[in-house]
Amino acid sequence: MNGNGTLITQMERMNADLKSKDSHKRRDIFVEGAIDPSFIAESLAKHATRHDIGGHEIFLGQVRADEQPATINGQRTIAIEYTAYKDMANEQMTAIREEAFARWPEITCLHVHHSLGTIKAGELCFMVFASAPHRQQAREAVAYVTDEVKKRLPIFGKEVFAEGGHVWKRNS
Amino acid sequence: MLLFGMIADKAGSGELDAFATSTHALKHELEQRIPGLGTMSYAIAVDRRVVNVDTPLTGTEEIALLPPFAGG
Repeated sequence: MNGNGTLITQMERMNADLKSKDSHKRRDIFVEGAIDPSFIAESLAKHATRHDIGGHEIFLGQVRADEQPATINGQRTIAIEYTAYKDMANEQMTAIREEAFARWPEITCLHVHHSLGTIKAGELCFMVFASAPHRQQAREAVAYVTDEVKKRLPIFGKEVFAEGGHVWKRNS
Repeated sequence: MLLFGMIADKAGSGELDAFATSTHALKHELEQRIPGLGTMSYAIAVDRRVVNVDTPLTGTEEIALLPPFAGG
């Protein structure tokens, strides 16, 4: 569960992002704990003043309660504990952001957040949010950034089981 | 150097002191010291970039051992 403190921190960061004319600027994508759905609603609302925007595209990653095969232990994931090599991840994110803005120059903003710490099944852990005058650029940019984040950012996830024990998640 | 994820678990720490003159030599040393590392899939980052070829080291670089990524 997120307290108000986390939500306020997320909102302050989003405000800073929106005020910043330079969307390519390096910033910290990580938030402690799950991404609060109300943060996403507030984020959308903040874009109402940008009348050059014609569409938003959002990808949200949610922790899934995977079940291990019976041949392993048949256990169900109840949470993922995320850790990251933050400095490298943020540098990689800056590069991915620059690639996205170069390929889809119409994009007016691009917001990426990833959770750290224990995120329970059903909670949100990842958000990629792009806005553009027209839908196609926003759609393509979000698909690209989502895939590249999964491939290139040094983020690690320990899947925690209901009856104890864990397995380390790996992106395919 | 910095260790993450399952490698930090195996080593029992997120940090380790090690020195070698190249990433290849470093791998060799670490695989002796960290149980199971030799059979694991991992990458070495030098100054926050993954290196895929043997790279000389002076001892001033930020080195990290990275198990498979799991973001998203």
